[in-house]
Amino acid sequence: MQALRNFIYGMTGYEFARHALEARRELESIFMIVTLGDLIGVPVMPPVYSLRLLPYIAPEIEQWKRQMARRKEFWEREEFDLHGV
Amino acid sequence: MNALIAVLIGAATVYLAYTRYARRIDRNVIQSDPKRATPATLYMDGVDFMPTNRNILFGYHFKSIAAAGPIVGAIVAASLWGWLPAFIWLVVGVSFMGWASDYGALVLSVRNEGNSLSAVAHHLISPRTRTILFLFIFFYLLLIAGAFVGIMAQTMDAQPKTHLGMILLVVMGLLLGQMLYRWRVGLLPATVLTVGVAFAAILAGPSTEGFFRGLNEFFNSMTGGAPIVTYFDPTLADFKGAEATIMPSLLFWAIAICAFCYAGSVLPIWRMAQPVVYVGFWITAVSMILGLLGAALGTFIKPEVAQFQIPAFKGWNPQLGPAGVMPLWPMLFVTIACGAISGWHSLFGSVGTARQIENEADMLPIGAGAMFAEFLLGLLALLAVTVGAKGAPVATFANGLGGFISVWGMPVENAVSLAFAAFIVIVLVVTQLIFRVMRVTLTEWLGEILPPLRNQHLASFISVVLAILLVMTGTWIYLWQLFGGANQLMAALSLLLVTIWLASQGKSWLFAGLPTIFMYLTTVASILVTAYNLYFNVYVPNLAAGRTVPVIGSGLMVLVALLLVAAALLIGVDGLRAFLKYSRRPERAAGTAPARG
Repeated sequence: MQALRNFIYGMTGYEFARHALEARRELESIFMIVTLGDLIGVPVMPPVYSLRLLPYIAPEIEQWKRQMARRKEFWEREEFDLHGV
Repeated sequence: MNALIAVLIGAATVYLAYTRYARRIDRNVIQSDPKRATPATLYMDGVDFMPTNRNILFGYHFKSIAAAGPIVGAIVAASLWGWLPAFIWLVVGVSFMGWASDYGALVLSVRNEGNSLSAVAHHLISPRTRTILFLFIFFYLLLIAGAFVGIMAQTMDAQPKTHLGMILLVVMGLLLGQMLYRWRVGLLPATVLTVGVAFAAILAGPSTEGFFRGLNEFFNSMTGGAPIVTYFDPTLADFKGAEATIMPSLLFWAIAICAFCYAGSVLPIWRMAQPVVYVGFWITAVSMILGLLGAALGTFIKPEVAQFQIPAFKGWNPQLGPAGVMPLWPMLFVTIACGAISGWHSLFGSVGTARQIENEADMLPIGAGAMFAEFLLGLLALLAVTVGAKGAPVATFANGLGGFISVWGMPVENAVSLAFAAFIVIVLVVTQLIFRVMRVTLTEWLGEILPPLRNQHLASFISVVLAILLVMTGTWIYLWQLFGGANQLMAALSLLLVTIWLASQGKSWLFAGLPTIFMYLTTVASILVTAYNLYFNVYVPNLAAGRTVPVIGSGLMVLVALLLVAAALLIGVDGLRAFLKYSRRPERAAGTAPARG
């Protein structure tokens, strides 16, 4: 029964959940670039605020750098699943 | 022969092919290892690379690959050659080629760090292969967009009872997006409201038929009843060919569909494309489930709806128009795509699904399992056409499916209305996604050389105009077969990549290599046959009659066909060189992910 529920969720709600995650990631990426962009070579002017935020952001840094590394430019993003098929 | 026997044969096919063949390849050749790290676990980023439960991913993958292909292909094939060749191809195709193509592409991507087919081609074959693939994919999408817009516009023009349902479907899709993402309403109540209203509108369609028929007549009166375009259509008059016209009402519906697709292409995906697909999914799913169960039960409850009506076999080379040839080989094998084998599945599987595979043991149930489920959908479509036997090809399907649904006690008129709506919905939601991917592909392909194409409106506009031009040729069956050729060629190229990769790893490549040879030769031959038919059956008669639009449209299609063949030959030559190189000297280390833990 659980398998059936998961299957139906995969056909219905899963795509919305993925899109919500993508939307959150984009917002977080902008925030990270503004505050900690120097980690990927983007100069950031007021590092004092970055330092205060660092403890909260530290767990996300590894994933964020992976995402950034896959982009052609840091301000671009994969707009659609099949981008670059 | 009746529907129940066909369903039982289909179920036995799935069981035997999966357990006796696919599972053996997975165990002995691919050697899937649950302990090996997948890209989803290695590069987890919380979104694109995300380890996902097997059953959730199966549902997601199946929904993504199940589109209008099995339905339209079955409609055309059964009307040209009879139901038996179509049935045999579905069974043989999925058992020996379809699952191998889908599963192979998934394995290829999982074992190559989640890379897409073009990225793997760049690595394994040559850099130019990636560029050629872009060109190939754009025209492939253009053909399917033209075919789908054409068939939808003709169906909507001829079936005014479907209009209310389609209009409400779009409105409900927009409302659902707003409810979920802006008003933060839960998925369940939002679904009940929007899907419920869309269903009610579809079932109420017959009562509004008079109003929308009047609307069509109003559009047609704008030219005094004169057609906008007159053309020679070789598919009319029982495939003997006859003069046909495009009336203003048909052009209106084609433009309305394109406007909808344009909006779906340029608006944020949550605003329109995604929720419309979701509402459409429920309408299609309910219709198909009721239909499939009705097909099985109808034999006992309502035998008259489950008896095969059309001939089993109509001939090896049915005449299509005065100069047309339609040999069973190669044309049947591109006319029916998705239920047997399809390139779209490989494309999507290698990009969308492969990056979410949690465990290598999931590759077979998801890659091959979803393909077998798609086969059952194709089988249902074929059964519906085979028992329908009334009217034009789409009407035949709708009458057949409506008959199956009516087994559950629904009045036949409403059931047929639901079946028509299910057909249009499944085509419509896919078409808007196709325009979106076309726009992105055009930008990715030519955006660097022609910067204006990076503008999403311009890229979408070009895509829409080209599609309408193809529609104006009127002959959607040729468009469908040209698309089928491109789609199957994509499957052949995907299988070619899998074969080269298997050779590079020193593994047995026969399970992918033999289907590659068959599909490659078949699809190139089919595209050349379609180009021949288009030239002699559409281009020449319309040129002789001095008709500009059909001449430009069919000329463009011939050009696209030749381009596809040239692209396929280039990729084939490069692929053969790479295969020979790796056959002599495998590079086992390439594309092998480290073990987990």
